[in-house]
Amino acid sequence: MDVTLRILRCDPERDGAPHWETYKVAVDPMDRVLDLLIKVKAEQDGSLSFRRSCGHGICGSDAMLINNRNRLACRIRVDQLGKKISVAPLPGLPVVKDLIVEMSGFFGKYRSVRPYLINDQPEPERERRQSPEDRARFDDTTKCILCAACTASCPSFWARPEYVGPAAIVQAHRFIFDSRDEGAAERLEILSDEDGVWRCRTIFNCVEACPRGINITRAILEVSSAIVGRRG
Amino acid sequence: MLFRYRGSEGMVAWAFHRISGIAIWLFVMLHVLDIYLAGGNPNVYNDILKFYASTPGRCMEVLLGAALLYHALNGLRIMAMDFWPRLTAYHKQIWYANWVVFVGAGLPGAFIIMRPALGL
Amino acid sequence: MALYSRSGRPRPQSGGFELAAWYFMRFSGVALCVLALTHFSLEHFLFDPSQEDSTWIFNQRWNSLFWRGFDWLLLMMVLLHAFLGMRTVTMDYLQGGRRTLALTSLYLVGVVLFAMGTIVVFVGMPAA
Repeated sequence: MDVTLRILRCDPERDGAPHWETYKVAVDPMDRVLDLLIKVKAEQDGSLSFRRSCGHGICGSDAMLINNRNRLACRIRVDQLGKKISVAPLPGLPVVKDLIVEMSGFFGKYRSVRPYLINDQPEPERERRQSPEDRARFDDTTKCILCAACTASCPSFWARPEYVGPAAIVQAHRFIFDSRDEGAAERLEILSDEDGVWRCRTIFNCVEACPRGINITRAILEVSSAIVGRRG
Repeated sequence: MLFRYRGSEGMVAWAFHRISGIAIWLFVMLHVLDIYLAGGNPNVYNDILKFYASTPGRCMEVLLGAALLYHALNGLRIMAMDFWPRLTAYHKQIWYANWVVFVGAGLPGAFIIMRPALGL
Repeated sequence: MALYSRSGRPRPQSGGFELAAWYFMRFSGVALCVLALTHFSLEHFLFDPSQEDSTWIFNQRWNSLFWRGFDWLLLMMVLLHAFLGMRTVTMDYLQGGRRTLALTSLYLVGVVLFAMGTIVVFVGMPAA
């Protein structure tokens, strides 16, 4: 079958203005959008630029706006979308070229929440042990692959790019609620500023966008509850 | 992007919350002004009141009541999730329950407000 | 492009104000569910705008300190709740000079409405 694939192209080195281009692609209904993009690049226009790495929903490289919703191109099939498919770069992030967006701001925010184990105790001889209940406390947020689909779907982030964003809060949640970690106070302090958790308006776009099915809004509200509980 | 992005119930709930909030704020400004006039210049106030009692005025009051009720119900939904984050798993169900209450309380309310205009 | 300079995030200072505002929005929200909905029901279901002239307001509706206090409390909660809400909307969608202008007018309108409402609730008597 044939699908009409519209791609929002942009080459800042040539003209800079984003514009839609339409491609007719012969596909199998079980093809993924990533397969379509690879096909267009191989057969129709070699200048089409996009990121992909593993191609199986683990590396988080190919998040983009597909039919007006953020998803991984390697996780969505033609039969789920229909015969008209539109693909654009992640909204709210600066475009480098075509479907490639500038991610350094996104990762800067990720780094700002100290996404690593903080524990000043002397290193134990064996691994730091944890009960299954303690592990379950942050299980959901360990699934994040940092694809930015959530942050780029958030109206609070579109309105204010300084907002730390859902992905960074998810990463902070993963350590704040880890019984082996001692940096919770510091992270809660970081997230309680003007561009921290208070910008969440419980819109749930992030939850809809997450390819890993994380209940991101719940994680954000658990972090804000922790801040409220600490001061209150 | 705000209008193009395909969000779900949560995004619509948020948009309505914002719009109804701004609408209520505009009415509050008008309302404080008219009640202030009632103290200083009763005749002007009584003229404004004739508008509130007219058919267009009553339509506005129904809209105001709808905005108030929606904003209150959705505000309670947001607060419930703020204090019990596990409720986020049911945010769509709570949103539909809100609409049931909205229609259940709103329709009789709208009828009472509009009754004089309908001549009943 | 301006967005490039937004890479990274400066070390944030913790904002006691944002937390206080978060608390207050929820506290006043619950209070308003009672105050505003009672007020609305009173004016539109129990009574009707066709009978609510200024004499009625001052002689019947506000014949006790309780109802004057009730409506004044409602005014306080509405003004603060709406002020914080409109501040949020302003800070989301306006930048630079326009934001300053909008926030300043918001402050002014808030103060004026507070003064007008307080005056009429506590010293307002029908002129004739």
